[in-house]
Amino acid sequence: MSEIGRLALILAFGVGVLGVLASLIGGLRRDRELAAVGENAAWAFCGLTGIAVAALLTLLLRHDFNVEYVAAYSSSTLPVWYTIAALWGGMKGSLLWWAFLLAGCTAVVLLQNRDRNRAFMPWVTATLLTTGTFFISLLVFVTDPFERLPFTPTEGSDLNPLLQNYWMTIHPPSLYMGFVSTTVPFAFGIAALATGQLGDGWIRSTRRWTLFSWFFLMLGNLFGAAWAYVVLGWGGYWAWDPVENAAFMPWLTSTAFLHSVMIQEKKDMLKVWNMVLVILTFALTIFGTFLTRSGVVSSVHSFTQSGLGPFFLVFLGIVLTISIGLLVWRLPLLRSRNELESVFSREAAFLLNNLILVGIAFTIFWGTIFPVISEWVRGVKITVGPPFFNRVNAPLALALVFLMGVGPVIAWRRATWSSLRRSFGISASAGVAVGLIAMVAGAGNFYAIVAFSIATFALMTVLVEFWRGARVRHAVLGEAFPVALSRLIGKNRRRYGGYVVHVGLVMVFVGIVASSIFKLEIQKSLLPGESLELGGYTLTYEGVKNGDTDHVLWTAATVAISADGRALGAVYPEKRFYKKPEQPTTEVAIRSTFGEDLYVVLASYELKTGAAIFQVFLNPLIAWMWIGGLVMTIGAGICMWPSFAERRVESTADAAERVGA
Amino acid sequence: MAGVALKANVRVGRERPLSFLRLLSLACTLLALAAVEVRALEQPTQTEIESQLTCQCGCGLTVHSCNHVNCPSGIPLKEEIAQQLKMGEPREQILSWFEKKYGEKVLAAPTMRGFNLAAWTMPFIVIGAGFLMVAFILLRWRRQTAVAGVAGLSELHDKLEIADPAARARLEEALRRFDEGK
Repeated sequence: MSEIGRLALILAFGVGVLGVLASLIGGLRRDRELAAVGENAAWAFCGLTGIAVAALLTLLLRHDFNVEYVAAYSSSTLPVWYTIAALWGGMKGSLLWWAFLLAGCTAVVLLQNRDRNRAFMPWVTATLLTTGTFFISLLVFVTDPFERLPFTPTEGSDLNPLLQNYWMTIHPPSLYMGFVSTTVPFAFGIAALATGQLGDGWIRSTRRWTLFSWFFLMLGNLFGAAWAYVVLGWGGYWAWDPVENAAFMPWLTSTAFLHSVMIQEKKDMLKVWNMVLVILTFALTIFGTFLTRSGVVSSVHSFTQSGLGPFFLVFLGIVLTISIGLLVWRLPLLRSRNELESVFSREAAFLLNNLILVGIAFTIFWGTIFPVISEWVRGVKITVGPPFFNRVNAPLALALVFLMGVGPVIAWRRATWSSLRRSFGISASAGVAVGLIAMVAGAGNFYAIVAFSIATFALMTVLVEFWRGARVRHAVLGEAFPVALSRLIGKNRRRYGGYVVHVGLVMVFVGIVASSIFKLEIQKSLLPGESLELGGYTLTYEGVKNGDTDHVLWTAATVAISADGRALGAVYPEKRFYKKPEQPTTEVAIRSTFGEDLYVVLASYELKTGAAIFQVFLNPLIAWMWIGGLVMTIGAGICMWPSFAERRVESTADAAERVGA
Repeated sequence: MAGVALKANVRVGRERPLSFLRLLSLACTLLALAAVEVRALEQPTQTEIESQLTCQCGCGLTVHSCNHVNCPSGIPLKEEIAQQLKMGEPREQILSWFEKKYGEKVLAAPTMRGFNLAAWTMPFIVIGAGFLMVAFILLRWRRQTAVAGVAGLSELHDKLEIADPAARARLEEALRRFDEGK
């Protein structure tokens, strides 16, 4: 099976190179036959990458420990679900998984564009295949996932215990899908630059892909936060680790693009800027991969570090050189007739929103690479951690949420005092009121008061928009209010889906602020029968239970929870010891409600006395983050679902292209 | 009826546009206020100092967040923090003591002196420059629009003499939808 996988990779590399060359020459000569050869090669590339993934998966499931990757990342006692997750749990497998996902995206792009975007397709195929072939080339020439050992170990080393968690089965695929799918808008951007067809055709063709990649980047980041929260056991979910930062930056630039592209569609402006954002987003995904695999900065995600960094750096350099070269070459064609009636308009608000989003991305980038710069310049190792990122990003986040409230409602072209009063009167009043209430209630923290106030403003702006729209339908068409609301959303999914995303983001923001500022915690050693108190809860330690399986030894403490004398059940925080890698882990126990999470960690215990040390955190409004993520998912789904009007526009454009062809 | 609505719209369109710079300076002041670190004057807490130091065990977390059992770095650091606090030292003195003992890498954020100042100032320099650029671009576009005589739709609409009330109403509706971004 490993020979089949290896052969599939070699063939995939061959057809990849062939496809790139055929597509490039086909694109340059406008030769349809060569372009078709390129597309057929891309199909073959997809099939062969699929075979390689299937081969590695089969080897993992068969526990063929003669294969180095299988021996290093799985064991015979590893549950099946985690054995499948081992496919992307190691560096080699994750590269293959990346190439496979990109091949999948390539296949969908080829299918979607059988009869459309024919001028773009050779360039799109060439760009997608170049990226895919680069990843495959690493697997063929540098780090072979099918490498066999000179002997067969009786047992595998097992998957890193920290990865043996359900969030890790969905976090990497989501994040990789987000990373990989940014290649599609990038490929269309390159195609538009290469062909000189710089109207909004390429943007229309990739709008859903942009949303798709943004959505998966968002999910990947949220799932990663959820994993850190339940696995790492320090009571938090985001540590500003370089690898976390690497995943967050493309999401920020992608968000900026989703907003600025509206100005191009609506007013034919910002063509250069949009192209820059597409290139930047793709480049940041490659930069993130470089960070993860180079070890150039220290990270807790060290399980995928390798010597592959220079290859990614060279690839990144090539990508940036070609992209910027094309951009500069096409600058005369990208000039747009920029019109602006007033600097106080939606156009200006969107520009500011872009500035803040890209500014936050730059801040994170700067903070992430500054230790390396410091070492180069001064020869001194320093740390840039949470205090830096929190302090610099907090005011920027506040400004962003404020603009999130302003942007969707402020008038295009020009705003006046009366239109502002009409649009923001209720929401601004609600924001001020919540700020005052928070102050009177003793919130105490300046940031928290401002943050809650601005969040309320942003939330109310959107809710008032929903209410106004539904009310008009109710009054004019006589529809029942819920019907009016659903039809309002259905008639303009992109707009109202975006509003739903904003509601979700406000919830996430409030969750982050509350859990960061108002967190309570205590650490205490208890004997069975003793209690500790935190935030009105009483936690009574009742004792421990032990267990032993082929895979893991575990000790779970029973902790009864009560509040105001009322029993609220029990939680069972655990300490585990994984036998194969001989590594202990902490399994936290969380009692989650809409208002707060009671997060209990069994830090250590003594078998003789039964004494145990507990760390307990009371994290307010954490659930808002996860629910907010769900709301954002719903909003993104609404945006991505094509409306009748969009389908009509697309089919008209396709028909026009066919007639033109 | 349409005529009444049209007049109302024209009146709105002719209102004094907002002073961009005035509102901008207000927003900047609010942001600057938000950026000001509201620090208590009293003695720092154990948690506060723990959150300013990086655990040296390789976990990448702050001393406060590291929860490794019997951590060879986190536990001694916590004890040293407690000792320093007992001596009544102020925040900066305590951090400086740790910096001298363990090197700069123990601090969870760069110091605000020398080359490290670049870490703190660069984001604001870049964003500030970006802000000036955005302001410049917006003002230039606005000037271009005015010089080219490309009247805004609302002004154009105002100048048009549309006799047909139905056509006027359609235009009115189209403008309203455009304004609302539909």
